[in-house]
Amino acid sequence: MAKEKEVVAANGVVVGGGLSKKEIRKIHERNMNQEEIRYLRRKEAMEKVWPVARFFILFGLCFIILYPLIYMVSCAFRAQEDMSDPTVMWIPRHLTLKILRQTMQAMEFWKTLGNTLLLNIGCSLVQVVTCAITGYGFARFKFKGKNLLFGIVIMMILVPSQIIAIPQYMEFRYCLGIQPLMEKISPALGAKFNLIDTPLTMYLPALGANGIRAGLMIFIFRQFFKGLPKELEDAAYLDGCGPFRTFVQVMVPNASSSFLTVFLFSVVWYWNDFYVSSTFFTQNNTMALMLKNLGTRLSLVLFNSATVEVSPREQILWMEAGCLLAVTPLLIMYVCLQKYFTEGIERSGLVG
Amino acid sequence: MAQKEKRAIKMPYERRKGLYGYGFIALWLIGTAVWFLYPLLNSLMYSFMQVKPETGGMQGTWVGLDNYVYVFTADQNYTKYLASVLLETLWKTPLILIFSLFIAVILNQKFKGRAFARAVFFLPVIIATGPVYSIINGDISKSGASSAGQFSTMFSTDLMGDLFQFIGIYGLSDKMQTMVETVSNNIFGIVWSAGIQILIFLAALQNIPFSAKEAAQMEGATAWEYFWKITLPYVSPMILACLIFTVIDSFTAPDNLVMGRVLDMQKDWKYGEAAAMAWIYFAIVLAAVGIITLIMNRFIYYEVD
Repeated sequence: MAKEKEVVAANGVVVGGGLSKKEIRKIHERNMNQEEIRYLRRKEAMEKVWPVARFFILFGLCFIILYPLIYMVSCAFRAQEDMSDPTVMWIPRHLTLKILRQTMQAMEFWKTLGNTLLLNIGCSLVQVVTCAITGYGFARFKFKGKNLLFGIVIMMILVPSQIIAIPQYMEFRYCLGIQPLMEKISPALGAKFNLIDTPLTMYLPALGANGIRAGLMIFIFRQFFKGLPKELEDAAYLDGCGPFRTFVQVMVPNASSSFLTVFLFSVVWYWNDFYVSSTFFTQNNTMALMLKNLGTRLSLVLFNSATVEVSPREQILWMEAGCLLAVTPLLIMYVCLQKYFTEGIERSGLVG
Repeated sequence: MAQKEKRAIKMPYERRKGLYGYGFIALWLIGTAVWFLYPLLNSLMYSFMQVKPETGGMQGTWVGLDNYVYVFTADQNYTKYLASVLLETLWKTPLILIFSLFIAVILNQKFKGRAFARAVFFLPVIIATGPVYSIINGDISKSGASSAGQFSTMFSTDLMGDLFQFIGIYGLSDKMQTMVETVSNNIFGIVWSAGIQILIFLAALQNIPFSAKEAAQMEGATAWEYFWKITLPYVSPMILACLIFTVIDSFTAPDNLVMGRVLDMQKDWKYGEAAAMAWIYFAIVLAAVGIITLIMNRFIYYEVD
């Protein structure tokens, strides 16, 4: 409204205090040609219609995204017989924690949660540090073969882990060829060098900046460090900092929010990974693996035999409860730290 | 003389700095040699060999291109899966890009509840890469369950057919109708795989300088014109980034048919054939991304700093 009055004033038409909006507009339009009037009318109509349309679009799409989550919650608190009750759509007739409790038992929830958190946070911490160092190396130094080496980083983003999983398995199983030698000395020593089923299969690649989606993380850090002003580096150099000290004392504090974002994403990726971990772990000790094999575990744990089959429709209940359990820690993290997930990407320099 | 002195001081620092650069990437260099390059080379070798796992490592005999020939001629499923996956990527990728740009433009506007809407649209980012997604997806597409069935019929043929009839283009073109139907049936997959893309586009939109917006307003640009003349050129570099990201993402998705076939082969201990399959697929996708990048680069607007 204030804007309109300004324009009117600029056109030199005196606006009386007692005029209604319509009259003001009429005076307003007298000074404009046909095209301008049409433009303003169209804009006005759009401004009225668009918010309504926008609401419907967003509401519908939000529903599609939230639907599985709502369904999970609805299923997790149902009783078995509600599944065959056609009147139950969303709100269960028999509210019960039985399914949730049984799923927790089958997944050994607290133990798995502890394991997964320890592994994920540990690996992510290691990987964020190594990737940041590598990214800084690519962003701020000139050396021979840099472009070729960075090409390898791009390759790391592009090559799916399915291609290299089997050779990697062999490396861990025989510890780069050391294990057979040790086995010759003594079988007990040989068994120690079989790295399959040890957390080392996750930590070692992370330490070499080659863990899950490491290529992408190196890329993000490189973009970010490239964006920092060169003056920072020069000032540090003049004050007598060596390159490594410059990195630790000048660059890292500047990058703290970007560190947090990459760390959070790394935790999510480790949490969600089941392909790599199912290759290296034979036991189901992470959340994703537990969830993937929930079907077989359910019949083992709940009915003491692998042959008992629950009807697929009723099995959905346990599966959805399992999903809910696996997703809840991530959701809590997301809700609490949402700012860093969404704004971090913008600031991390991935864009531009 | 002075010049010589200057060089004598300057060169060592630059060289020393270069050496520090190697120091910074040393850890990665070792890691990559062990956990990336060596396995990659091995897997390429497997694809030319008949491989058997034995104590101490893989034992193989060289068979040349036999595995590749087998994959294309003898394997029943591979070519079929490959064709369907490539076709799906071909039509889904543009849709995901258009959709995420559209949503990003909407989420960039000011309205009540924007924070909530943003939070919801980024939610797939944290869930869609995990096993939870495949369970959700499976449950919904199976549609055996009561309410899951409800959901998939909501967007199904009847609704779209009714809409067409209502608008009056009933029976205009069967092909068109099936196309729209596939899109509306797949809306779940599209919405769920657009999280990161929306995030990237949104960040790009926020980087559009205010002066450009102001100028457009002064000239009386409509929202439509503004989108084509200002928004699109400014986000065009990100379209390429999102495109590559989408292709790679679908490439490694857990429900990808070709990758599923590769894993099945590995479970049957047929590592040579599995490696050949994976490499063919990888080569095709890499070539496609390369060509698209080359073509797109001609249309991208880079702001010169």
